Amino acid sequence: MEKDQILENLASAIVDGDEDMAIENAKAALGQRMDPLETVESGLSKGMDQIGDQFGKGEVFLPELLMAANAFKAAMEILKPELEAQKMKTAQPGTVLIGTVKGDVHNIGKDIVSTVLETKGFEVVDLGVDNDTLSLIQEADKAKADVIALSCLMTTTMPAQREFIEVLEEMNMRDKYFVIVGGGPVTQEWADEIKADGYGESAVQAPILVKKLLGKS
Amino acid sequence: MLNFLDVYERALKGPLMTEQDFDLKVFIPTLRKVVKEYGIVYDPENPIPSDDTAADNLFEAAVDFLSQVGIYCQDTNRVIQFSKDEVTKVVQEASGRCFAGEDKEAGVFGMRAPDDGKIPWLHVGSGIVASNEEMMSNLIESYGTIAEANSISISALDNIRGIPISAGSPAEMYAAIRGVKIGREALRRAGRPGLPIMNLISTAAAAVTTIAASAPQFGLRSTDGWLVGAISEMKIDFGAMNKTAYLLNWGANIGAETAPILGGYCGGPDGTAVVSTAYILMGLLIQKGNYQLTFPVHFQHGCSTTRDVLWVVSSSCQAASRNTPMPVIWLGYMAGGPNTKSYFYESAAYLLSAVTSGAPAVQTPHPAKAIKVDGITPMEARFGVEMAGAAAQLSREQASELVNQLLEKYESQIPTASSGSTYQECYDEITGKPGVEYISLFNDVKEELAEMGVPFK
Repeated sequence: MEKDQILENLASAIVDGDEDMAIENAKAALGQRMDPLETVESGLSKGMDQIGDQFGKGEVFLPELLMAANAFKAAMEILKPELEAQKMKTAQPGTVLIGTVKGDVHNIGKDIVSTVLETKGFEVVDLGVDNDTLSLIQEADKAKADVIALSCLMTTTMPAQREFIEVLEEMNMRDKYFVIVGGGPVTQEWADEIKADGYGESAVQAPILVKKLLGKS
Repeated sequence: MLNFLDVYERALKGPLMTEQDFDLKVFIPTLRKVVKEYGIVYDPENPIPSDDTAADNLFEAAVDFLSQVGIYCQDTNRVIQFSKDEVTKVVQEASGRCFAGEDKEAGVFGMRAPDDGKIPWLHVGSGIVASNEEMMSNLIESYGTIAEANSISISALDNIRGIPISAGSPAEMYAAIRGVKIGREALRRAGRPGLPIMNLISTAAAAVTTIAASAPQFGLRSTDGWLVGAISEMKIDFGAMNKTAYLLNWGANIGAETAPILGGYCGGPDGTAVVSTAYILMGLLIQKGNYQLTFPVHFQHGCSTTRDVLWVVSSSCQAASRNTPMPVIWLGYMAGGPNTKSYFYESAAYLLSAVTSGAPAVQTPHPAKAIKVDGITPMEARFGVEMAGAAAQLSREQASELVNQLLEKYESQIPTASSGSTYQECYDEITGKPGVEYISLFNDVKEELAEMGVPFK
């Protein structure tokens, strides 16, 4: 198979969420001794950009995005040993730790943000739902997170976002992380009031916001 | 009949799996398969379909889907499963009636069919957060003075004595108890103490708060209604199950509360319509509801009035109303806020969709995605009851044409819709009367809608 064809197939495999096709073409790329970094950037990442754009336009939804992310991960498993052997590193714009705050068990909005960030190449550590403040801080330290993203769906769990920022300040750790907030009842005014570093009204704004905070936009 | 302890036992013994596996390996692939097998197809040109066969097919798809997927219990990490026969049986056994209210306000909230000329049960008000007790009290008193109101939702309080309310905290406990007392007292002031409050407990996220504030000495009665929420999508936890256990032992009205999210795990409108219909069945099976409150929303815009969500509302409302004896309150979240034209256009479109599709009950639509503190006034409720009455005189086909015209007016503005005014900005806080400007906007929009063919009385 031609090199260009392999790259095209990889991009299509991601857009279609076809894990088998992604694995097959990742293996073909290695068989052809293609540059693994180029395979990622001109094949897999290109597909991720396409599916991310389609999601932003409302043409596809969370299931398609998740399938694309899974196909991407499967292909990366094949390419990773070669990337490591050649001491190559894919561009990784930053690590985001994400979770819903204490008392909030609603995960869908958070899951969408998490997946959108992954499709844009971020390392995402997803702590799931109902996280107390100190656990979030401990996990952020372990993950060496650059950004902490806090989600909530209920007005009665919004105060936990404020509490998180206040505790970071109390522990003299406020400058260590960017803290961004989101969720159904959350607004820009609320983010400003609690001194969060950023807010996104919808999931598609998350990668733009994080890149901006990390000075990579 | 499967009783609640049977359901609980299944939560202890069903197949064990992680929540992620349930979402990715069970929920999503089964939904995609069912959508394909039953040929569920979204028609953007026709937001209110008039095809009874398609509605019945959607119901069959929902039964099939629910019996294959089950409900995930977050506390046991197990799936509560039901056979197709059990799902069918619970539908056969459902009474389709909910007795609510006391004395002269006592009523039976029953079923309607698509194109039904009967005015639906009118559920007025909202649980939108209020910043202070006086404003909450005025708001509820005003709802109570709407003669057409059959039942009421009361606000949630933002704070108690200035202390912000956090889920599951002592402040929440104080505020929840205070909230129900204010609600009952305000209805008494309106001269309608028997009117049922059916969004209990509005200021309670934790089950323990709900149960504590429900003690009769605080003013609630079994003929009010308590919401027991499912977790999106198709999940439940012990908090919700504890509420059900308590309310069943009391014999109080249980409202199964659900909010399918278009664009989330449901995918597009076709999948969301299946899940939205399946939730009505879940309400009977898991929460043991004798009524339901449902509000499908769009994942990105947080409202129920995009073209695709309106189609979901109409399709699943028809599927459920024709096949499931469960009195459902259909609620819409509007992108536009109080004192905006966009709110009224959206509210009209939502109510036309739900009422003509056979909604047994409608709640007066919530402004500003229900997230703005003090972001609601009695004016939206007034409009809601008048609009619902007008919609009941129309067929699905007539309503679909009107909804298309309304979508032309507001659809493109959804992403940037204004959250509008607060109660304090467009009402006199002392007298509880609307300002001249808002009255004028209300009248202008009604006139415009009447010219379009909305048959206001």
